[in-house]
Amino acid sequence: MGRSSKDKRDIYYRLAKEEGWRARSAFKLLQLDEEFNLFKGVSRAVDLCAAPGSWSQVLSRKLRGKDKSEEVKIVAVDLQAMAPLPGVTQIQGDITKISTAQEIIQHFEGQSADLVVCDGAPDVTGLHDVDEYIQAQLLLAALNITTHVLKPGGNFVAKIFRGKDVTLLYSQLKIFFSAVTCAKPRSSRNSSIEAFVVCQNYSPPEGYVPNMSNPLLDHSYDVDFNQLEGPNRIIVPFLACGDLSAFDSDRTYPLQLDSSKEYQYLPPTQPPIRPPYQQACQLRKNNLLAKEDSASGALDDSLSALDLNQSPDTNTVTPGTSD
Amino acid sequence: MACPVESAVMKSTVLVAPVTALEFLGEDFLLTGEGPVLSVYSLQASPKEYASLNVLHNYRIHGIRPSRKHQFGERPFNNLISSESSVLANNKEDIIVFGGKGVRLVSFNTGGRCLKLIGPVLELQDWILDIHWLKKQPHPLLGISLAHNAVLLLDAESGNVLSFYSCVETCLLYSALMIGPNWDSLVLVGGTVFNQLVLWRPTGTKPDGKSQVERRLLGHTGVIFSLCYLQKSGWLASASDDRSVRLWSVGTLGGDAGCGEESPTCLRVLYGHQARVFCVRLASNRVFSAGEDGACLLWEWGGEGKVGHTFRGHRSGGVRALAVSEESIGCKEGWMATGGADGGVRIWRVAEEKKDCEETQTETQLDLGFKGQGCPKVVRLVGEGELNTILVCTDQGEVYLSQGDSWDVIWQGGAEFQSYCVMEITSIQVQNSDCIVWVCAVGNLNGGVQVFLVGQPGVGVLLRAGEGKVHSVLWAKGLFEGSWSWCLLASGSEGLVYRWTIKVTEDESGLHMQEETLLPFLLPPCAKRWLTAAVTLPKRKGLYLCGDRRGSLLLYNDTEENVRRNEGRTDLEKKETENKQSDHGSPLSPISTLYGVHGKQGVTSVCEYQDLCYSTGRDGSVRILTVEESVLKVRRVQRACRGMEWIEKVLFLGSDGPEVREKLLNEGIEKRTIDQGSASIAETRFVMVGFHSVHFIIWDPHRQEKLLSVACGGGHRSWAYKHPIYADTDPRAHTLRQGTLVFIKHGAVMASHSLASTETDVNGLTVKEGLHGRGISCVCHLGSLTKTGQFSELWEVFVTGGEDTTVGVLAISAKSGNVKVLSVLTDHISNVRALAAIRRRETNEKGGDDDTTSVCSLVFSAGGRAQLQCYRLLIRLDEQQGQPVCQVTQIAGHRLDEQWERKRNRHKTVKMDPETRYMSMSVVHNGTECVLLAMGCSDGAVRLFSVTESSSSVDMLWECFYHQRCVLSVATYKLEDSLDRKLLLLFSATTDGCISVWDLTAVLNSKASVSWQGPSAPFFSIPVHQSGVNALTISPRREMRQMEENVISLASGGDDGQLSLMHIKIDQKKQENGGVSLQLLAHWSVPLAHSSPLTGLCLLSPTLLVTTSPDQRLCLWSMNSDGLHPLKVLFSHTADAAGLWAWFGQEGGAWVVVCGQGLQLFQLTERKMDELHETVNRNIKEGERKKVMFPHHVSRTKH
Repeated sequence: MGRSSKDKRDIYYRLAKEEGWRARSAFKLLQLDEEFNLFKGVSRAVDLCAAPGSWSQVLSRKLRGKDKSEEVKIVAVDLQAMAPLPGVTQIQGDITKISTAQEIIQHFEGQSADLVVCDGAPDVTGLHDVDEYIQAQLLLAALNITTHVLKPGGNFVAKIFRGKDVTLLYSQLKIFFSAVTCAKPRSSRNSSIEAFVVCQNYSPPEGYVPNMSNPLLDHSYDVDFNQLEGPNRIIVPFLACGDLSAFDSDRTYPLQLDSSKEYQYLPPTQPPIRPPYQQACQLRKNNLLAKEDSASGALDDSLSALDLNQSPDTNTVTPGTSD
Repeated sequence: MACPVESAVMKSTVLVAPVTALEFLGEDFLLTGEGPVLSVYSLQASPKEYASLNVLHNYRIHGIRPSRKHQFGERPFNNLISSESSVLANNKEDIIVFGGKGVRLVSFNTGGRCLKLIGPVLELQDWILDIHWLKKQPHPLLGISLAHNAVLLLDAESGNVLSFYSCVETCLLYSALMIGPNWDSLVLVGGTVFNQLVLWRPTGTKPDGKSQVERRLLGHTGVIFSLCYLQKSGWLASASDDRSVRLWSVGTLGGDAGCGEESPTCLRVLYGHQARVFCVRLASNRVFSAGEDGACLLWEWGGEGKVGHTFRGHRSGGVRALAVSEESIGCKEGWMATGGADGGVRIWRVAEEKKDCEETQTETQLDLGFKGQGCPKVVRLVGEGELNTILVCTDQGEVYLSQGDSWDVIWQGGAEFQSYCVMEITSIQVQNSDCIVWVCAVGNLNGGVQVFLVGQPGVGVLLRAGEGKVHSVLWAKGLFEGSWSWCLLASGSEGLVYRWTIKVTEDESGLHMQEETLLPFLLPPCAKRWLTAAVTLPKRKGLYLCGDRRGSLLLYNDTEENVRRNEGRTDLEKKETENKQSDHGSPLSPISTLYGVHGKQGVTSVCEYQDLCYSTGRDGSVRILTVEESVLKVRRVQRACRGMEWIEKVLFLGSDGPEVREKLLNEGIEKRTIDQGSASIAETRFVMVGFHSVHFIIWDPHRQEKLLSVACGGGHRSWAYKHPIYADTDPRAHTLRQGTLVFIKHGAVMASHSLASTETDVNGLTVKEGLHGRGISCVCHLGSLTKTGQFSELWEVFVTGGEDTTVGVLAISAKSGNVKVLSVLTDHISNVRALAAIRRRETNEKGGDDDTTSVCSLVFSAGGRAQLQCYRLLIRLDEQQGQPVCQVTQIAGHRLDEQWERKRNRHKTVKMDPETRYMSMSVVHNGTECVLLAMGCSDGAVRLFSVTESSSSVDMLWECFYHQRCVLSVATYKLEDSLDRKLLLLFSATTDGCISVWDLTAVLNSKASVSWQGPSAPFFSIPVHQSGVNALTISPRREMRQMEENVISLASGGDDGQLSLMHIKIDQKKQENGGVSLQLLAHWSVPLAHSSPLTGLCLLSPTLLVTTSPDQRLCLWSMNSDGLHPLKVLFSHTADAAGLWAWFGQEGGAWVVVCGQGLQLFQLTERKMDELHETVNRNIKEGERKKVMFPHHVSRTKH
């Protein structure tokens, strides 16, 4: 497999490189906006778990428009630092901290945000129940900080895994928003359980006081378990979004897309930022991993195929899309 | 057949899921957690399951905590322990089982060997990471740590929370561990989402009611998946996403010692895993770690942390659970267990720690100190078991025998044998005696072959194999004139193979050797024209299977009739051979030839085992062969692991090495020739022996793992393998202990281990066999097997295709819960995404359709890299044991980009074609000659293939890129009615939610076998779903068909979670060549049938539909004239569900199998029988859960 094999497998990965997006996930937000008009009238936007910054990039290009409006304020929050983007203020902070919420409000000069987006995905373990739980906690943390910074009537968009307990998340989101939709942009693969919740019109319950110290934990089935194995589970409407004439993320395209333009390999816009396996890979490359002197021998080819070439855009790890 | 309708009851009967929890109970029992099911295995003699219980309902077990363990925690290395384990005989053991938000108390009676639930599932409000027993009496008190860095004290009986503390740092934890004798002095270690380890005490300093972090351990660059603490040494170990294991010196934790040392240090950073490390366990002076790479590493403390041993026992997907028994923790000989993502469980015997480990571990390859003239060229092992000695032939034409440390010349060939000789040995039974002698044959450059006894080199004969170079000498054992004797084959010049029978007799004067000349064999003409392998086929008198250097497999017939026929050949032929004729008589030509099948590098070995022939070659493959009416046929080709291109031979598992096997063969042969009718049809489990670059490898193709690896320097060397001695293991346990390799390297004779050493490594005992380690993408039910007229087990037979690129053949017994992997097919190079099967009548079968003891199917598998494979499978119940066995015949394989693969300069150019994946497959036409298959392809095409079984060919007949989108699913509808009307429709569905219909009727009349001018567009198309259509199924509507109308039900499931049902009327114009038109009669849909993509859909009957989805619900729907109605919903433990299959069982009721991250079998029965049971069940179910409220946790979401 050459370096072009990923271009071949994933059309949006290729397009992202061609259009200068930091990750293919940029298309997901663009297609969500096409359907929901998320950016209309937005002058203050927050991107949670922003790194490597493709959604901030979309916000920067779309909200500020051609005239590079100074009215528009975009805040990107992540634990990691990322390369700067025009018109985007970075906060290196933890979304579970009240100080982070305060810092966001400060940037908006005391005003609340019109839109909060979150494309964060946690470090996955490969065990579906654990991964779904952790993703749900990330989403609830994002929701929690959102309740501190979002103006009533504002919108919230976040990545969600459509797993076994997704209905519990829906019911929790519906407490805070009058319209909750599960949306699947066409750039997100059919085979992946990844989807996005588009929560419109923020309207918290009466008397609700945002509180960072207690995470929103209570997220379980009723005692009668009707939701678990009964017919009346809370399911929010599903909407596929993006133009049907757009590229198909599941289709495998030839390298030569257009007879008029010759295929050229482009390097990724941004390599992954310090992945956890970095040192282990370096040791492996130099044959420095510890091993038994005799029996285990040299590196096993079949193992090297196993997950070592993790996708460079770590922000868009989508379980179930591996080929 | 009975059709379960509204009253249907669904229940899970068999589950294979990742093993996520393991724990030992003393040295006698192993507890496993697989999905919600807790099982107990006994470890005595041959491990077996004792009890199994669904404990956690919809939660997966992540931890098992026997109460006894907790006492060990306090005084871990007390002498009392060993005596206590023997007292275990009849004891009750309280066990806490937890996972997700659920906790349950279970008791295990070690005498009665049964598991009992105590109380309901307690459901907490947060995810549980660790549970710590604090008190057993009077109420079980548990310390529980939660994912949001909080701990609580729970009365497990009442479900009351007695105390709750949370850390000031409320971040998410990936792992946690509680240490300490009582609640007031507990220490919690948490692995945070920020890759740190934090230590805190619930009762520690609390300014605002929250506990402060007292210690912080930094260093990991990934999240921490697992923690372990050992009080004795004060070590804390952590396993991480960053692929390292870190060992920290933290001192004593808990009790008066608080959070231990003021400034803990990192003692070791252990990098050795190839992927993420999921589990870590500590023993004194040792660390065990296991992870995604499927390996468990045993780290010795010495040498800055070196890997003392690697245990590999799981297929891709890795190890998910690890347990170490108390004895092993004390570094005595004890158990270690690994549980895989493949659902398999292995136990390993861990040897006692060696005192002087550094000394003995450094040099594992031994130089056997060969001291003789010249260079050793050939090495062989003589003798059996303990008496093994080494025989070496040098380039000086001398043969040496090792005697302890010394090497004695036993034979000198003189001038004729110098500079070149070949050698082969065999053991021969002395005539009329039980005595076995070893015989050595050495061939030279001038046609001379010296045969002599190894024990008495003076006894021997000198034979002549023509005038030229003797390329090879080989021994074959066979029946000659009704008695067993050995045939020596010497390959001379011009393709002549000279043959003799060699007998050893004994009289008063000692041993004598007698030879008798046989007719030579003639090899087919080619450049390297000599024999490399030969075997006689004892069940077929006079037949020899041979392999040559050109890669050809040859069958010779030595019977008298054939010899006569040979002599009576035409004069022309006779003349040709006359020149070559010597006193040996006119040579025999092969009666069947597979020219060059093993490639230009040649055949390396041939053998016969249980009536099947096996050949190996330097093309990296093993061929399994049959001889049908004197014609040699390849039944199956099996490749070794990637890069292992040189296979030397196969070894059969469950046998005790060749010598012992031969003895058994002697006894068994008469018996076997009698009951020829019940010939064994299954391939015996075998392992491949060969070279992988510079390594000598033993590869188990069934388990897909290396059993032995020795860095010998690679191929082109002489080697001998000493079989391990089986002392106590059951040969049927299919385990192979590591033996010893003797080989020649740089002019020295080397051994991989000391030959005298009796120590062998056990390759783990399989407690439970695993399936595909990664996701199972598709499943197909082939049929059911049961012994007729007997009350016996019913086996359901399946094929599965997985992301691990293999196709598995499984048999599942619902009654016993047994899951048997019958065969693993490894021909695919990428994901296997689709399967299809056609029932075939067995060719030479006694029984008819009602034969329930065998299933014969033609199976097609398709997937990534546009690859299609076809097999004929015959699954039958073994006559003796009633166990299912499987025979695989490879029919054909095809790849779209085969031409590209053949291109020579392909590494230099960029392949512009798309990397097409086959997404789904449907059998379009099941003809007598060929089968037509429709394929939905990721490059936007719909393709039609014809597979011809007789010629083993696959041809693409038609392709159409109409869709320009990924085609996710295809289905066909075929009608041939009494009026001789024919109709063939293909339904294709794509990522835009459209379903299109193609008229392929014309292909039924088409004679074309290579290409066919099919339609360029579908004639009907309808948008049904918002996005991709994952599943499609069609059934004719019976009640409508009586009215001379063609009405079908078309059900589809989409990525949008929608289930849709259409009734479509098909109008076929009366006139010839008339087109077809469709009329949509009705269309119903359930928009949110599932809360995640609908991935599995199957019509059980025209009125009953089953669906599944990654939301882990299995739904049953009824289809009436007024649409779809939900009947039942059941929670499934198969995560990432990707496929489903449903069928009616033989004993009434129906079955559903769901595949994904594992496999689950469900049974559907009618309520009537179970009604009472069901209502009782429901009541229990409600009483089986209890919600645990956190005392001061204020839900802010009240409304």
